[in-house]
Amino acid sequence: MAEKAILFDTSRCTGCHACQIACKCWNVLPSPTRLNENTFSGTHQNPPDLNGATRLIMTYSEADGALPNKPVAWAFGRRSCQHCTDAPCASICPSGTLYVHEESGMVTVDASKCVACHYCVTACPFDVPRYNGMQGKVNKCTGCVDRIEQGIAPACVSTCQPEALSFGDRDEMLAEAEKRLAMLKSRGYEHAVIYGAEEIGGLHVIQVFKYGVEAHGQVLDPKVSPITTLTNIMKPVTGVVAGATVIGLAVMFGLAAGYKRDKLAYNAETEDTISLETGEVIKHGDGQDTESVKEHITCNLPIGKKGGDHE
Amino acid sequence: MTSHWCDFRNTDVILHCGSNSVENHPVGSKWLNKAHELGAKWIVVDPRYTRTAEMADIYCPIRSGTDIAFYGGMFNYIIERLIEPNLADYLAGKEVPDYNFEYLLNYTNASYLLDPEYDFDVESGLFSGFDEATKSYSNNSWRYQTDSVEEWDTTGAYAWAVADGVPEFTPPVVKHPKRDMTLADPMCVYQQLKNHYTRYDLDTVCNICGMDKETLELVYETYSATAAPGKAGMILYALGQTQHTYGAQNTRAMSVMQLLLGNVGVPGGGVNALRGEPNVQGATDMGMLVNEQPGYLKWANTTDRSSLRKWLESQTNSDGYYTNKPKFMISALKEWFGDAATVDNDYGYDWWPKVPSKKTDPDYTHVSTFELMSQDVIKGFFCWGMNPCHSAPNASNVRRAMANLDWLVVADLVATESATFWKAPDMNPADINTTVYFLPAALIYEKPGIVVNSGRWLQYRYQSLEPWEEAKPDFEMCDLLWTEICRLYEDEDGANPDPILNTKWDYYIDGKIDPRTVAWALNGYRISDSNLAEGKVDLLPSYSKLAADGSTACAMWIYSGFWNNNNAPLDPSAQPVGRRDNNDESGLGLYSNWAFSWPANRRILYNRNSADMNGKPWAADKKLVEWTGEKWDLVDQADFVAANNGVPVPPDDKSFFMLWEQNARLESYGMVDGPLPEFYEPFESPVGENLLNGALSSPCMSFAEYESTKHGDASDYPIVATTYSVTEQWQGGGQTRMCPALVEAMPAQFIEISEELAAEKGIESGDKVRVFNNRGSVEVAAVVTKRVKPLQVHGGQQHLVGLTHHYSWAGVFGTEAATVNDLTPNVVDPNSFTPEYKAFLVNIEKATGGER
Repeated sequence: MAEKAILFDTSRCTGCHACQIACKCWNVLPSPTRLNENTFSGTHQNPPDLNGATRLIMTYSEADGALPNKPVAWAFGRRSCQHCTDAPCASICPSGTLYVHEESGMVTVDASKCVACHYCVTACPFDVPRYNGMQGKVNKCTGCVDRIEQGIAPACVSTCQPEALSFGDRDEMLAEAEKRLAMLKSRGYEHAVIYGAEEIGGLHVIQVFKYGVEAHGQVLDPKVSPITTLTNIMKPVTGVVAGATVIGLAVMFGLAAGYKRDKLAYNAETEDTISLETGEVIKHGDGQDTESVKEHITCNLPIGKKGGDHE
Repeated sequence: MTSHWCDFRNTDVILHCGSNSVENHPVGSKWLNKAHELGAKWIVVDPRYTRTAEMADIYCPIRSGTDIAFYGGMFNYIIERLIEPNLADYLAGKEVPDYNFEYLLNYTNASYLLDPEYDFDVESGLFSGFDEATKSYSNNSWRYQTDSVEEWDTTGAYAWAVADGVPEFTPPVVKHPKRDMTLADPMCVYQQLKNHYTRYDLDTVCNICGMDKETLELVYETYSATAAPGKAGMILYALGQTQHTYGAQNTRAMSVMQLLLGNVGVPGGGVNALRGEPNVQGATDMGMLVNEQPGYLKWANTTDRSSLRKWLESQTNSDGYYTNKPKFMISALKEWFGDAATVDNDYGYDWWPKVPSKKTDPDYTHVSTFELMSQDVIKGFFCWGMNPCHSAPNASNVRRAMANLDWLVVADLVATESATFWKAPDMNPADINTTVYFLPAALIYEKPGIVVNSGRWLQYRYQSLEPWEEAKPDFEMCDLLWTEICRLYEDEDGANPDPILNTKWDYYIDGKIDPRTVAWALNGYRISDSNLAEGKVDLLPSYSKLAADGSTACAMWIYSGFWNNNNAPLDPSAQPVGRRDNNDESGLGLYSNWAFSWPANRRILYNRNSADMNGKPWAADKKLVEWTGEKWDLVDQADFVAANNGVPVPPDDKSFFMLWEQNARLESYGMVDGPLPEFYEPFESPVGENLLNGALSSPCMSFAEYESTKHGDASDYPIVATTYSVTEQWQGGGQTRMCPALVEAMPAQFIEISEELAAEKGIESGDKVRVFNNRGSVEVAAVVTKRVKPLQVHGGQQHLVGLTHHYSWAGVFGTEAATVNDLTPNVVDPNSFTPEYKAFLVNIEKATGGER
């Protein structure tokens, strides 16, 4: 099997949410079922971020349009694992839960091995892995390698009717992305760009953005912190004595705070968005944020003050 | 649709007006993307910047409810910029590359002379023939001047009309219209059209509709470029066009636009209604309407269709294909009443109920049904697969009306608002004496049967799982009810037994009701060799074999040919409706061997118009039909007479043969509210005057006089509101609110508000907003967005808001909410009886305690 990739082409995406829902259905990820249990975000983006039972969301951001006959730029995005070639989550994972599926290059998950150390959460340059508090396991896109091994595309791709998502050999997806980019440029989308060709050693989700990287909610020039390498030193210790790593974890938290820079965190409790660089609340949800950055980082950890995740 | 979904890719310009198809028809967006990538321009005209607008090249805002001003401006633009400057050249025999005069002159009624009495009075906003007392028109002056008359030759081509077994009727006379092929006569349709729309200049249209002139002109210029021979533009519309007090005139306006541009009957063209539900096309075809029975044949009524003879004389066209209507009608009656239907009893016609049709009669259409409940006229109600307490306009009026019923039967998948109307927050169950019966219905996947999509494609679908617990397919519920009703009549007698006991009901296989035998009845069969009760049938190949002498039975002539394989009558996969061959021999996406397209597997209606007067296609690379000099080379099934008794018929101008004049109508006497689309403001308008004529709202709109409509004025309710759906939820939400992942993806209904209006009212995204008018008050969540902007209307700033309507009180898993349709007015279009959901007035404020 050649190296594979998902291509997400925003020139064809209609923001219909079908990928998000197909992901939940195929992977048997529960949605709230009690009456009035869901809260509305005030936009089309629901739930507002990834969570312990949601591995893929569509994002929606609005800006004033730059094209003469398009007064609005309504950028649809895909927030999920990007399946890095040099996947820091996989390299840091002490238990073998996250690993690169060698045949396809997708970064997949064996949740049965998860020791809930949360290294992956801190390592991910895209802030993707979430914890399922009920199960104490990491929850992240698996790349649907179960489907890929059977010769079928990931669930999100199969369901996409406008053909904004496609799946195939990575080099073919990149070549297709070039064609799509040229099409967008010819339609006047001058900030259109391809994302994923080189980032983090090359991603296995190639994206073609109409309005530029940040407009579609992605990280411009993502970096793996050198501390990930340092952290790897702790890995054998953590892997062998998974239950007795309190000290090791404490070190990790210190390190983690160090390399989560240039990132935003979302607190589902307060519905605030926080800059991890400055500690400032970028966008208020409800009321003032009273917790420190460190508290925000640690609140989802097993030994943090809240014990489990926000689920 | 006159075309079909896959035909989108053949277009040069896509125009969305009154539809948001990538949101509401997400599967079809694939074909729009294909067109776009092949180079088509894409225009969206909509009050909001929608998901579809994001996909398009040009977005043009419009005030809700002003579509006819927009289309009228387009007609004026086409006439001023394309027709007038080139007409003399064309008549002098010169090449005109930018406009298709051959189409206009030969395939439309542009050259027909109208009655000298035909008139339109700008001062009053009325066409000739208006009767003030009844608020209705006589259409006599909207007809053509007659050149010559011709009678049916009942010894030749029309011998069937006087054959044994055919009921007696006087055949119609063909009145050949007078024409002026130079389009100079002041009474010709073209001159009248031109004069009518000179008022619709760019400035006036912008002032009414609220877009800027530059954008409007770009839209007109881009779309009217499809007037060039060989170019095609398609209009995609949905409820945004039909749900108005002039909704049918909106549809007429789109048709006139497409005819002026030569876009009807060509690949990538057409007037394309995107139907709202997976099978709403089928429901419409099957005659779930008060005025039409299956196959668009009119029901019996108490005036011009009070007897079979009157039906045949009023409904049979003098020329064209509908001269065959008696065959369809007699075959339908033979299926209804079987052996009991004979020529001596008018094939049982009088057993049919007659729709009251005098102007003074009560009205039994959708909206007025609830008025009749309020008036104690209707005491029992079968509510089958619909949820009027949620989806009908002025929904609080609907639930109060239903509280007046003695009994109510609801057949549905889930306990909808209608099934639990007494539980509404404003109802007191102690005061309500209605007995409610709930019949749990099987979901689409729990029953076999046929669905029809917007492109008229019929497909047989197999059952994939057993219905849940006691739920049953609708046809099984019908069967249980019907057999019990018949048993009661036989055992205990009852009122009016003949229609009941003479109705044929033999749709069983192995003693069980089965949709396959219903399919035989819909397709039609020769009676002499068939006995449905014994499982024996002699299926007809197509409707061309139907007879008016009682020898054939057919419940649905337009579907005929969809189930015609006599070798395996019980095997859906062996029938045309079961075809699954996705090879496209046409190269145009016709996919003629996939499913069956009514009528006659014709994929693009009116396809004669894709070729010129010599039968040569306008676009050489998009050939549907072509005259070779000896015969017609048919890529699609011909929608014209290509051969007569096996002899090829050379090309002529009879390109719309479903009309008696066989040319399309730019002007039409077929509408009840005017022969040309004229702009009127909605029932509730934010402005005090109509800038185009002296009538503010449509003089013919229905039910505005009902007290329950509670008209609101702009002084109290200054904001224009419209309603729509989101892709994550579906209509009343009964089905989608049961899917947790869909509820999670769109957990609430909301109001979209511009940043400007939100600032004025102190509202932020996520706040609870109270939306109110004279009919109701609802609280919904706010979405403050750049995608809605105030418009400049009549020189001032006009705010617009839009509401979704998927939640209410009957949620089990979802979100409890108010009923948005408490706000919408129960006034309707007089042609189609469709309510005006899409333009009405409200005011808004931040709800008390409305912060998130």
